[in-house]
Amino acid sequence: MAEFVATVYQNEFLPDGGTDVNAIVTITCTGAGTAGQSATGTVGSSTAGEIIIVDTSGSMGHETMEGAKDAAQAALAEIVDGTRFAVIAGTDSAFLAYPLVQDGPALAVMDAQSREEASSAISQFRASGGTAIGSWLDLAGSVFASVPEVTQRHAILLTDGENGEQPARLDAAIQRATGYFQCDCRGAGTDWKVEELRRVAQALLGTVDIIPSPSEMREEFRTIMQTAMGRGVADAQLRVWSPQGAQVLFVRQVAPTVEDLSDRRTTVNPLTGGYPTGAWGDESRDYHVAVRLPAKAVGQEQLAARVQLALGDDVVTQGLVKATWSNDSELTAKIDKQVAHYTGQVELASMIQEGLAAKAAGDGATATTKLGRAVQLAAETGNAEATTRLRKVVDVDDEKEGTVRLKRTVDKADEMALDTASTKTTRIKK
Amino acid sequence: MTEPRTCPSCGAAAPGESNFCEECGTALSADVLVSGAPTTPAPEAGESSPIEDMDSGPISSATTNHSATAAQESAAPVACASCGGSIGPDGYCEQCGVKALSPRDHFREQPAPWVAGVCDKGIRHHRNEDAMATSASPDGTARDRRAVLVVLDGVSNTDDSQVGSLAGAKAALAALTVPFPDGLGTDGSRVAAVTHVLTNAVKAAQAEVVAAATPEAANPASATFSAAVLEGDVVSFANVGDSRSYWLPDSSPGVQLSVDDSAAQGLIAAGMPRAEAESSPQAHAITKWLGQDSEEPTPTVGQLRITEPGWLLVCSDGLWNYASEPAQLVEQIRRTGTDDPAALALALTDYAYGQGGQDNITTVLARIPGPVLVHNADPTPTSKEQPHG
Repeated sequence: MAEFVATVYQNEFLPDGGTDVNAIVTITCTGAGTAGQSATGTVGSSTAGEIIIVDTSGSMGHETMEGAKDAAQAALAEIVDGTRFAVIAGTDSAFLAYPLVQDGPALAVMDAQSREEASSAISQFRASGGTAIGSWLDLAGSVFASVPEVTQRHAILLTDGENGEQPARLDAAIQRATGYFQCDCRGAGTDWKVEELRRVAQALLGTVDIIPSPSEMREEFRTIMQTAMGRGVADAQLRVWSPQGAQVLFVRQVAPTVEDLSDRRTTVNPLTGGYPTGAWGDESRDYHVAVRLPAKAVGQEQLAARVQLALGDDVVTQGLVKATWSNDSELTAKIDKQVAHYTGQVELASMIQEGLAAKAAGDGATATTKLGRAVQLAAETGNAEATTRLRKVVDVDDEKEGTVRLKRTVDKADEMALDTASTKTTRIKK
Repeated sequence: MTEPRTCPSCGAAAPGESNFCEECGTALSADVLVSGAPTTPAPEAGESSPIEDMDSGPISSATTNHSATAAQESAAPVACASCGGSIGPDGYCEQCGVKALSPRDHFREQPAPWVAGVCDKGIRHHRNEDAMATSASPDGTARDRRAVLVVLDGVSNTDDSQVGSLAGAKAALAALTVPFPDGLGTDGSRVAAVTHVLTNAVKAAQAEVVAAATPEAANPASATFSAAVLEGDVVSFANVGDSRSYWLPDSSPGVQLSVDDSAAQGLIAAGMPRAEAESSPQAHAITKWLGQDSEEPTPTVGQLRITEPGWLLVCSDGLWNYASEPAQLVEQIRRTGTDDPAALALALTDYAYGQGGQDNITTVLARIPGPVLVHNADPTPTSKEQPHG
C-alpha cells in the first residue's frame, strides 16, 4: 500500500498585528506500486489506460517522423502487460491507429501480440496534413471513455508544430480533458510554441519539454512511460483547510515544478478547498500555502491551515500550519529557509518566462532586466540547471548584481529549452 | 444558544446558532477572542473535573509517566472555547483553528458559592504544571463554615510535574477535609495539633509528587505547596516554596500570610526592599520544595483570626509576580468590584494574562463575609504565629 507523509516547514511566529502565514508542505509517497494494479489487487484487470498521441502532420520531416515512430515503439515496450492502451495519429484531425475498431472499447489490453500489432501500426505512419491538437485530445478522451473500468488515464503527446486550430477550439478541448486524463507533452524541433503546449500540459497535470533532436526521442518517451507506469496511486486531491474568517492567498506546487493551483480550487466544504494533483508514484512534491488570518493577541496560538492529501474521501496525511503571535522580534523576523527558497524559485520562473516573452516581442530592455534578475535568482537559490540554460541566452557580466547582455545569436532550441524548463525547481538541501 | 444575541462588534442582530456575525464576521463569543485566558467554559454538570480524572488531560511534552497516555485517547471531544466548533483529532478547532485547551491546561472549581479557583496554563508555558484543590461547606456565613484552598506549583524544568502537582493537591485536600483537632484545648496545644495536620497534608502531597517520577528520573517532579484552611473565623495556613496565601480584608491593609522559601525572601529578610529582591536574578530560586530530591519538607505554618469581611487568596507565582504587595492585589480586586469568587478568580487570571502570562496562573479565593463567632475573651485578633518559621 502506498504511504504518504506530510512535513511542514514554516516560521509560525507572527509579529503583533501580523496576518500572513507562509508554509512549505512536502508530501512524500512511498510504496506506490505499479499503475492500475494496486486498486484492484487482481493481476490482469488493470485500471490504467495509456494513449500515445503522435503528430503525423506534413511538417514532420523524414528524420523527425522516423524518430517519433521509434520513440512511440519504445514507449509501447514500457507499458506493463494488462494495461489498456491505444495509439493515436494526429493531423488536421485524429485517427485511432491502434486498436483498429469502429465502435466498442477502443483500448486494447497490452500483451505480446497487441504490442507487436501496435508497433507495426506505428511503423505505417506517413507525414502529411496539418496540426489540430484539440481534435487529438478530444479523440483521446473518447477512447478513454469507451472503457469505463479504466480510471487512471494518461497520454503522451508529441508534436512538432504550431496548432492550426482556432485558439478557442483548443481551449475548449483542453477544458473537456481537464480532470479527465493527464497528458505529458513534448515538442520536437523548434517550430512549435512553448506557450501553447505548456497550456495543455499544465491543465492536464503533465510535463512539457523540448526534444531538440530526433535521436533523443526514444529515451525521452521511454522515461515518460516508465514514470507513468510507476504511478500506482491513480489520483489524489490536495486539500487545504483554513479557519473561518481566513483567506487562502494562494496554493502553489513548487517542486518538482511550479504550478499555481489557486484557480483550480473546488469546494470540499465551506472551510476546505480541494486541488487536483493527478497520479502519484514514489516521489515528493512541495506545496507553498499562504493564508491570511485576522491578527490575534500576542501569545495566542492557532491553526492557520490543515494541508491534507486525500485519496477519494480518505485523508491519508495531514500537515499542520500554525500561527503564534509573539513580540520577540528574533522569532518573528526569520523567514523560513524553504519558504524563502521557493519564493525565489517562483520569481525565477516568471522572470525567465517574462524575459523571453519581452525578447520575442523585441523589447530588449525589459528582456535584459528580467533575464538579469533571473540570473541573479538562479545563483541565489542554487539552481545550477537554470544558470546553465540562462547562460546560453545571455552573457553574464555580474551574476550577483544580475547584470547581463542578450546574446546576439541564440540557438532557438536553447531559448525554448530555457522556457520549457523555467518552471523546474531545485530543492534546498535539507 | 437560542436566546437572541447581538454582535459585540457591530451590534447587528445575530439570530440562530451561527458562531460568527453575518455582518462583520466577529466571533459571537467575542470576549473570548479578545481576552486571553479564561476561554474555557466551566465544566458542565456531569463532565468530570480534571481533579477527579487527573490522567485524562493531554500532556503536550514528553512524559515518562505512561499511565497518562492511555486514558487521554478516550477523552470525550469538547467544543471549542472560542467559537463552539468541534475539536479535531489534531487538537485544534475544526472551525476557527484555535488550539483547544486541554482540561489540564485550564480548569475551574467552585465547591460552594463563596469559594472558587482558576488554574490556567498562562501564555508562555507549554503546559500547566500548577494544580489546585478546593473544598468548602455550603454556606460561607454559617458558624461551622469550613473551606480548604490548596495550590501546588510544579517546577517547570522537571519531568511530570503536572502529574505530581495535581495528585499532590488532591492528596493534601484529602488530608485537610477532616475538621482540625482541638488538642488539649489550650491555644498552644491547638496550634500544635493544627500544625501536625498541616504537616501531614504536606507529607501526603510530597508522597504523590515523589510517586510521579520514576526513581531513576533525571529531573524528578517537584512542586511548591500552599494551603489555607478556614474554620469558623480562623485561617490556618502552610507553605513550602513560593506559592502564597494572602488575607485581603475589605477595609484594612492586606497581609501576605505565607513566607516564601525563596532566594528573594532571604534577601528581604536580610533587609533588601521587596521589589528589588523579587526582581533580582535568582529571586525565583526556591529553597524548599516537594519532590524526590527534597527530604521531609517542613512547612511554614501559621494562623490568623478573621475580624472583618475580605478575601482569602491562595495563588501561585504566575499571579503574584504581577502583584506581589497585598495592596496591589487589593487594587485589582477593587477594580473588578465583584463579590463572586469565580468571577474574581477569572478576572485576576485575565489580569496576569494582560501582564504577560509568563507562568502558569492559579488563583483560589474564598469570599469571607466577616466573622461569625463572638470572641469575648479575645478582643484583639490573634497575630500571625509561625511555630516552624
